[in-house]
Amino acid sequence: MAVIAIAVFATVYVLLATERVHRVKAALGGAGLLLAAGVVDFEDAFHSPETGVAWEVLFLLVGMMVIVGILRQTGVFEYVAIRAVKRAGGRPFRVLVQLVLITALASAGLDNVTTILLIAPVTLLVCDRIGVPPVPFLIAEVMASNIGGTATLIGDPPNIIIASRGDLTFNDFLVHVTPVVVVLVVALIGLCRVMFRSAFRFDPKRAAELADLDEREAITDRGLLLRASLVLTAVLVGFVLSPAIGYAPAVVALLGAGVLVLASGLGPRDYLADVEAPTLLFFAGLFVMVGALIKVGAIDRLAEWATVATGGSAQTATFVLLGTSAVLSAVIDNIPYVATMAPLVDALSRETGNPDSVLWWALALGADLGGNATVIGASANVVMLGIAERNGHRIGFWQFARYGSIVTLVTVLLCVPYLWLRYFAFA
Amino acid sequence: MFARDLAEPYPSIGMDDAALEAAHAMARDHLPGIVVCEPDGRPTRILPGSEVLRFAIPPYVQDDEGLARVIGQRGVERLMGQLHGRTVRELLPEHPQGALAMCGPEDTLLEVAVVMARTHSPLVAVVEHDRLVGCVTLPRLLDALLALA
Repeated sequence: MAVIAIAVFATVYVLLATERVHRVKAALGGAGLLLAAGVVDFEDAFHSPETGVAWEVLFLLVGMMVIVGILRQTGVFEYVAIRAVKRAGGRPFRVLVQLVLITALASAGLDNVTTILLIAPVTLLVCDRIGVPPVPFLIAEVMASNIGGTATLIGDPPNIIIASRGDLTFNDFLVHVTPVVVVLVVALIGLCRVMFRSAFRFDPKRAAELADLDEREAITDRGLLLRASLVLTAVLVGFVLSPAIGYAPAVVALLGAGVLVLASGLGPRDYLADVEAPTLLFFAGLFVMVGALIKVGAIDRLAEWATVATGGSAQTATFVLLGTSAVLSAVIDNIPYVATMAPLVDALSRETGNPDSVLWWALALGADLGGNATVIGASANVVMLGIAERNGHRIGFWQFARYGSIVTLVTVLLCVPYLWLRYFAFA
Repeated sequence: MFARDLAEPYPSIGMDDAALEAAHAMARDHLPGIVVCEPDGRPTRILPGSEVLRFAIPPYVQDDEGLARVIGQRGVERLMGQLHGRTVRELLPEHPQGALAMCGPEDTLLEVAVVMARTHSPLVAVVEHDRLVGCVTLPRLLDALLALA
């Protein structure tokens, strides 16, 4: 059984990495094979908390997708972005700083792909008005999105998997990851100043054209905006109070989505517009496959090996995990990577002690930040590339990697002293 | 009744003529599109008015309708200004999808209707010996079809 589980898993990983078949087909096909071969049964796949589908992850995603789908229809994102850009006076670097901050902040609360879909059109418009090349701005934003998404439990799907497997709360992420993400965003801005310095040519005449943009027109329905904002705020407060009120984040998100659906008066076509069934099915297939590896003992064996390799030291394991995750996430999708690594880290945690859940933070930081290194490192990168290309701005693999590898290297290196000082030096 | 009977005299424009000239012709004569001819005079494409708009309005505005409301009068002028210095060839998709909206003079009403439905074109060019005979427009075709009903 172990041989079948590993063979199916490895084959699916190769298919995912080479993109020979659609990722949903690969993940569900692999899960189907493992169920058909009897490696996992119905109980293992759908009911077991150890080896089964992590339903709380799927329903947290569904809830947030519904809320974000409704919120984006209000035009609030365009309003905020254009207002901020106007405040920057059309000075290119200041504009970039505003857009990077908005993107990072939005990504902490929304899915990264959604954030890019919202910010990229505004960026293209603004760059056209102030007469600067949009590519540096788009690259900076997608990197801000990947960094900002690291900050919270809901910011990036790998974090949701990590929280589920590591039994971590929304507040745990706020306390342990958000502070370093703030530093990383500042570092990104500094890097952009240097990397894209030739793009910041200020033309006062062109900058004056920003005044023609009327951001108030972006708001389509003020009533809906108010209701959606209230619900989103309540959901975020619910996440923070989650341990106290006894509602898991998935329940909070689903309740918020339900209330907003009722309050919005929108039809299913509108409120389900952002619910990505392929992503949810991909997750489900992955969970079944990883569950099979757990059931046949492959993950435990790997954890034993990793414990020996790191000498049972949490410190060594933390930095190996951070570096390995960053490198691997640069070339493979970080969702399957984290789905596979989460049970391994869980087992490793028991062996090494895992002070203050540091291994989980190393995994989150490595996997999320590694996505910045190459175009294929994160879904948001691919989406941004597509938008740029459709608008006549082609960004090559190596052009992106040139900037991405620098940003990944610097941000991951910045995490090293943070993790060491906070969890080991003075522990 | 055949395509020849429904065809009306219709203006055409060259591939390398100015895009603005094509847009002006459509606006002036209330045309839904215009026939485009190769330098040797062969009519090969139809340029629908929507394609002119698709070129002038950047994809990022088409993707985010909210931005269309945000852009002021001067912004619209800037967008339309993008047609300056462009040729008709640049407005047309490099690789046309599906069949071209053209038919022969002896084609029946239904054949013309099929071409129009399949190509989503509001007009079909009637071509004989590589020369434009005229065009069948949607209102004229519907008129003829409804008269048979």
